[in-house]
Amino acid sequence: MTFRDAASTDFPPFSTDNCIKCTVCTTVCPVARVTDLFPGPKYVGPQAQRFRGPSVVEATPDHTVDWCSGCGYCTRACPAGVLIAETNSRARAAMVDTRGGSLRNRLISDTDLLIRLGVPLAPLANFGLRNRLARWIGEKVMGVHRRGPLSTFARRTFRSAWKREGGLTDLPAGADPARTIAYFHGCAVNGFEPELGRQAIEVLERNGFTVIVPDQGCCGLPFISNGLYDQARRKARRNLESLAGLARAGVRIVGTSTSCTYAMKAEYHEMLDLDDADAHAVAGATWDICELLVDLHERGQLDTGFGPMDEPIPYHPPCQLRSHGIGTPAMDLFRLIPRLRAVDSDHDCCGAAGTYGLKVERWQIAQDVGAPLFAKVRAAAAEGASRAVCDSETCRWQIEQSTGVDTVHPITILAESYRRADAAGREPWRRIV
Amino acid sequence: MPRADVVVIGAGLAGLTCAAELAERGASVFLAAKGMATTHWTHGGLDVAVADGADTPRAAVGHLAMRDGHPYARLGGDVEAAVDAHLARTAAAGLPHVGSVDASLVAVPTALGTLRRAAILPTAQAAALEPWTDEGLLLIGFDHYRDAWAPYAARNLGAGVWEQGPRDIRGVTVELPWLERLNNLNATTLARLFEDPVWRARALAAIVAAVPSGRWRVALPAVLGVASHAEIHAAVEEAIGARAFEVASLPPSVAGMRLFDALRHRIEAAGGRIQVGFEISGVEREGRRIVAVQQAAAARPLRLVADSFVLATGGIAGAGFRGRRDGTLEETVLGLEVSAPPHEQWFSEDPLVPHPLERAGIDVDDELRPAELDNVRVIGAALAGMHVLEERCGDGVALASAHRAAAGLARARAAA
Repeated sequence: MTFRDAASTDFPPFSTDNCIKCTVCTTVCPVARVTDLFPGPKYVGPQAQRFRGPSVVEATPDHTVDWCSGCGYCTRACPAGVLIAETNSRARAAMVDTRGGSLRNRLISDTDLLIRLGVPLAPLANFGLRNRLARWIGEKVMGVHRRGPLSTFARRTFRSAWKREGGLTDLPAGADPARTIAYFHGCAVNGFEPELGRQAIEVLERNGFTVIVPDQGCCGLPFISNGLYDQARRKARRNLESLAGLARAGVRIVGTSTSCTYAMKAEYHEMLDLDDADAHAVAGATWDICELLVDLHERGQLDTGFGPMDEPIPYHPPCQLRSHGIGTPAMDLFRLIPRLRAVDSDHDCCGAAGTYGLKVERWQIAQDVGAPLFAKVRAAAAEGASRAVCDSETCRWQIEQSTGVDTVHPITILAESYRRADAAGREPWRRIV
Repeated sequence: MPRADVVVIGAGLAGLTCAAELAERGASVFLAAKGMATTHWTHGGLDVAVADGADTPRAAVGHLAMRDGHPYARLGGDVEAAVDAHLARTAAAGLPHVGSVDASLVAVPTALGTLRRAAILPTAQAAALEPWTDEGLLLIGFDHYRDAWAPYAARNLGAGVWEQGPRDIRGVTVELPWLERLNNLNATTLARLFEDPVWRARALAAIVAAVPSGRWRVALPAVLGVASHAEIHAAVEEAIGARAFEVASLPPSVAGMRLFDALRHRIEAAGGRIQVGFEISGVEREGRRIVAVQQAAAARPLRLVADSFVLATGGIAGAGFRGRRDGTLEETVLGLEVSAPPHEQWFSEDPLVPHPLERAGIDVDDELRPAELDNVRVIGAALAGMHVLEERCGDGVALASAHRAAAGLARARAAA
């Protein structure tokens, strides 16, 4: 980064110069709403930033910034363009750099490692995840709350199943890049919810795309959230290396996790300072799957042969989705499905915020943040909803764990709706050339 | 690429109101804003106009309408309908008001113990409008809450400035449970504590104990809850057995948060969409029309395509305008011409007397269109010709211009 770039107020720590001290950010902070441990985004952001060095390599004078969950509401509320959440994430990283990250945080952030260990041992690992004694030990030894939202491991990773079936991993010769999608499955699909990956590919193929699953690893977001930027950069660089070529060729990178896709769209640049041509190419090519489908629809290219889904569903748009700035595309798609009655949760945050809600000292905060959402989901279930819907995996697990109501990705609903249309014997959809 | 009949840019009182009215009239609306706007800084009431010699907002609007280039010269006739629509809209959203354009402007106290003239207030603040007879005014502040010093305000108000005011004015500071243990205490924190029934019961007991014997009307900081404020206000009055009213606090203003929430809910209930948090980074023009604006989202802008666009981005304070180094003002979204005094008049000894720069804004026609573009309407503080601090016409102009624009766009839609 040149000095000129760094001196710009687009650079998060310098954007704090624009703060007019109106405190709007604090009124929208879900964490400050429920706990006094976090003094709110203004105090740990623009206020405290005055005491930090310009590059934030010096440690922060105040450690309360670590209670930030990273939801980003502050940045979006700010009328003056201060990148509050981004500044606070960097401050946490500087703090972790000075003090060192805890073993717990290093471990729960390393989802690639967890999947590498957990999937081969799935029966045993899942027994542990479901076993109260094991979870109690996990809490006492590791600081992972016994009721923290964790999913069970898949028996086989999505990637290995894909490869075994001979699925494409690179752009085939002669393929049209514009009709090819590089699917970014993320850790959730790879290690925990492979069926979602299947559904995503089904929906994309139905809309005429060739889907490839290129080499990839964790996007790095859990490390970013825990202030472990060096590890996050290593994860990010690996993905940039394998995806940048495809992005330049005109292949879109589509993910089912709004967290991974947001990391690649924005956080590689805004937090990790990855500013090279590869990072920009990948950011520009990355799409959330519902965003892509809505875009297709607006071009008249979406297969709208959806079968009826006669059910009410409470839908929660996760914080990371809101950071994309793409509205709520899942709701736009639900409106295309006959008889589906989707209701927006009108609640800010479920509390999980990735790994935040797992930590023993934060679990209750996460529960309190999400409590109004959980009440709405339970009420919807009492009125006949058999499941809730949310785009982000840790939010889904948090909602499930806290309400007992199954929670699925919007694509699950879309895939089922397409299948119902097929079962009703409609004409197979023709590819748009 | 969301399509809408109308894209409204800006989430202040003008933008929210215009989007709500358009949605209520059946138009598809997308409201885009770079952040929360000035609602969170305001007192939550409705300032329509104040002018010397005018006893009611309607009369004051008449005075201002005669001033050269004032927006009320065009919009004066819309004020009553716009205010009535606002009162109906906010009441439907659970935020009722008291007053009208024909109610007398009376002095009401501020958190600092100064006076301002008001005629229309949210119900929670409305007891301040009632004439003072034999009861005294008890101002209550909360220990550790530094944004409202009741004894200081009482001293200011008691210093002979308030002609029609109460004879006895006192200020007390009440110790509420837990507050001494909190690291951070602002209006929002208190409002959320008041939402908690267990804490509220204990707080009310402390408040009741602080009210001396005698007949009082009680003023409290505007922190009596957010979503359940009506019930909480009623519970406070019942507990102390007296009329109680809120006095707007320093930012963040809980009264302003309630207003924002009420209008947002009305827009969404009528099918409108809102995306706050991303500025408009690009404008697609074809001749004298805007075809789309681009909202700067992550990685790529969100293209907002519409037939018409409403600019509600505010004036200098709301960052709708920015000063250029050459001594002119720039309108930050569409690049419209800003009519402004010459640079040498940008500086004045006293910023609170009518400041020349306050009048800066965009000149429009009767349909609130700027000179450069046919399918754009300009509303709210971006309009030229106001001295908002002195004339206190910001809310009224926001409502009347939002109403004029929404009605005009609805007529155009019906004709098309």
